[in-house]
Amino acid sequence: MDDLNLLSDFSLFLKEKKQQGVKIVAYLAHDNIPEELLDAAGFFPLRMIFGGNDDLMDASHDFLPPSTCAFAQSCIGLFSTKPNAFRFLELVDYFIVSNHCVSDVCVSEIISKYFNIPRLNFYVPYTMNKNSLKYFKLELQDFRNQLEAIVNRKVSDEDLHNSIVKFNNFKKKLLEINELEMSGSEKLKIIHKSMLFGPDFLHDLESLIQKFKDTPQPVPNTSKDVLLTGCSIFINDNMIDLIEEGGGNIVFFDTWIGNHYYSQIVESNLIDINKDPLDLLVLRFKNNIYGDHSVPDFLKQKVSVIQKYSDSYTKSKGRKLGVINHIIKFCDHISLMSSFLKDTLQEKGIQVLNLERDYSRANRGQLSTRIEAYLEMMK
Amino acid sequence: MSVIADEIVSFSSVLRMAYNMLNGRNYLKRKKFREKEKLVAITLPFSDLAFAAGTVPVFPIRMHQFEISQYLNYLGSASSIFGWNAVSKFLSFIKNQGIEKVSKIVGDIIEDVIDTINVKYNQMYDLGIETGISSDFCYGLKSLVGMHVSKGQNVDACLNVTIRCSAYNKYLESLKSINEGPKQIWIDIPPRNLGNTIELLTDNVSNALNEFEKLTGNNVTDNDLRAHFKIGNQVKKSYKNIIYDISASDFYPCNPATFSEIMALLSITFQDYNSDAARYRDNIVSLEKEMRERIRKGIGMDVSKMPRIFVTPMFGGWEPKSHEIIYELGGRALYADWELLKFLEEIPTSPNTNPSEEYARFLMRATETGIGCDNDKLTDSYLRMAKNLNAEGLIFFQLFGCHSISNCYSMLREKVRRELEIPTTAITFNKIGENVEQVKTRLGAFMEMFK
Repeated sequence: MDDLNLLSDFSLFLKEKKQQGVKIVAYLAHDNIPEELLDAAGFFPLRMIFGGNDDLMDASHDFLPPSTCAFAQSCIGLFSTKPNAFRFLELVDYFIVSNHCVSDVCVSEIISKYFNIPRLNFYVPYTMNKNSLKYFKLELQDFRNQLEAIVNRKVSDEDLHNSIVKFNNFKKKLLEINELEMSGSEKLKIIHKSMLFGPDFLHDLESLIQKFKDTPQPVPNTSKDVLLTGCSIFINDNMIDLIEEGGGNIVFFDTWIGNHYYSQIVESNLIDINKDPLDLLVLRFKNNIYGDHSVPDFLKQKVSVIQKYSDSYTKSKGRKLGVINHIIKFCDHISLMSSFLKDTLQEKGIQVLNLERDYSRANRGQLSTRIEAYLEMMK
Repeated sequence: MSVIADEIVSFSSVLRMAYNMLNGRNYLKRKKFREKEKLVAITLPFSDLAFAAGTVPVFPIRMHQFEISQYLNYLGSASSIFGWNAVSKFLSFIKNQGIEKVSKIVGDIIEDVIDTINVKYNQMYDLGIETGISSDFCYGLKSLVGMHVSKGQNVDACLNVTIRCSAYNKYLESLKSINEGPKQIWIDIPPRNLGNTIELLTDNVSNALNEFEKLTGNNVTDNDLRAHFKIGNQVKKSYKNIIYDISASDFYPCNPATFSEIMALLSITFQDYNSDAARYRDNIVSLEKEMRERIRKGIGMDVSKMPRIFVTPMFGGWEPKSHEIIYELGGRALYADWELLKFLEEIPTSPNTNPSEEYARFLMRATETGIGCDNDKLTDSYLRMAKNLNAEGLIFFQLFGCHSISNCYSMLREKVRRELEIPTTAITFNKIGENVEQVKTRLGAFMEMFK
């Protein structure tokens, strides 16, 4: 119900944007899209952060085989079936084809081609080194050119700087969520809303965070704290309910929709108006060491961040932290590395549950059993 | 199947290639332990830099012992005394005499070449899953993991070249977790050719060469690169001639099933040139000659009435019985994956060129116009190839779990209908031998359209 309200509010918000003449650019919400460039050019960045269900997945099979990532399938399904709550997708003016993973490419391409939404291209290098950073800058420049061609004006460095500062401040505020005492589901609601509305939500976000700081809502000691890694829990997905019903509580979202997004902060002293703003976006990409797109150090960084958080948690709380590695079925990145991640973390004494699922209703019972068994084991 | 065996025996070059493929283990052991050379694991046709650097590239499955290799070892020994041509003629003679027992052994050897490789592929597939890779990934990836789990510790380095398949790139990353020992050498191919991308890719190639130099302790000169590219170009030229001049023609030097079997062998061995580029070049050049010679003499088969069926993609896993079934149903299966993906483009070698840059251009062309940065480009490649082969039908292998090269059938079908107007069908593939009956039924229905 909460999610439906959120979608309804968002729908009104987006309509207002359209009435103001703002163009909507949608994309599969990976963590390397330069939303600051979109903002500076006067577009509204719409992240596809919506979970799926059987109907949405089935609807995608006209375009891609069923052995495609369930999230990707559902994104196609949303455009194909146009459920009432997602009517706002009809307002999308452009769709970005990007390569967070190959399913991102294929699905974005299909949405653009078959649902007649003009396409923008933004590709990301696969590795993270000196040359790939230079390549990333080429892509940024190309993306800027594409946007400028649409709006028929130059996107000034000043506007871009302002957008970078705006998103940077927004993320800094979001980062405070990690420290709040509240249930994981409440945190996730705030994260979802923030990432959907973007910096327009900053004022409300500040009030919400202040409210929870003033009146913390500690989670009962009986629940088991876990870190969520792997795939995100998207809007309209009941995964967090299953975890909480099973006696767990997510204290840290090490996912796209979570820390990956708001930890990409550029230090204020580096934001110099006299410098090329694209270099700041390159720096943001360089700092995105937790994302799952890049090779070859994804696993190393992932293990490092989880171990660090887990050690710090155990030290401060005096108990162990669980790790749920959420794997959306057929996800290339998370699924392929899952056994290596589990083995490596377990060698370090961190218990991991590799929880693979798609969005079908049928597996709800099985997922609950697995979550409960894992949390039981954490005693 | 004995028809296939009969035919292959008279191509001594095929016998040599099969021997070199299956006898890889002994050859590689000699290289590593006796000659102290460095073995470098490669996947897909990315062996050029490893050759130029003086290392021994190996597609990891070749480090395995193949059941059939004992017979081939015997033939190999005989060939070292009498020469391969003499051995080949002798085998043909034995078969023609109908000496049943010997004939059966000879038949088995040849017949089993592709089967043996595929049995090993299936074992690697099972091992990959046992090791923990999700069964949701494609056949190729699961098999590759199995290969590295079983034999990856024997290599000194892995050459990891990124492509647009995200599962493949993650597999490359996982290699250092599977085996800690081998050095990981990376070449990142940027997804698109923007601005000075070629310059950046050239630098990535140079950096990889520096890593090779550290591995071997030897310098890699421009001349080393050119010398290898020249050999590679000769291989590619013959491979292309076989694809365009022979496989698309109306008279084959053997029956179409045999021809497809040879093309399948080429597809597998092209990845690492059986670890010896010059030897492989000699074999493929002589294969082309043998084929042309037979055609000139009128030995072979008039296939003008048999529809040309382009079967693709097959390099990541396909049902190898397909070509035999298609042949039995009156057609001929054409395989040309590496040409489709632009891996058969020659690399300029004139003295005034920068070979690292030329290699970067080669990689970029394959990325841009072969596999493509999206399915629109990729489907154009399938279409272009079907057109160039003058194909009358297209069979598309849809690999279970593949999100990259074989998930675009809907888009492809639409383009084929619009632009080529030839029949097309998709066959789902998970594991070799798993659904042969279903494949037969699908192919039967498909081939009905040509009657």
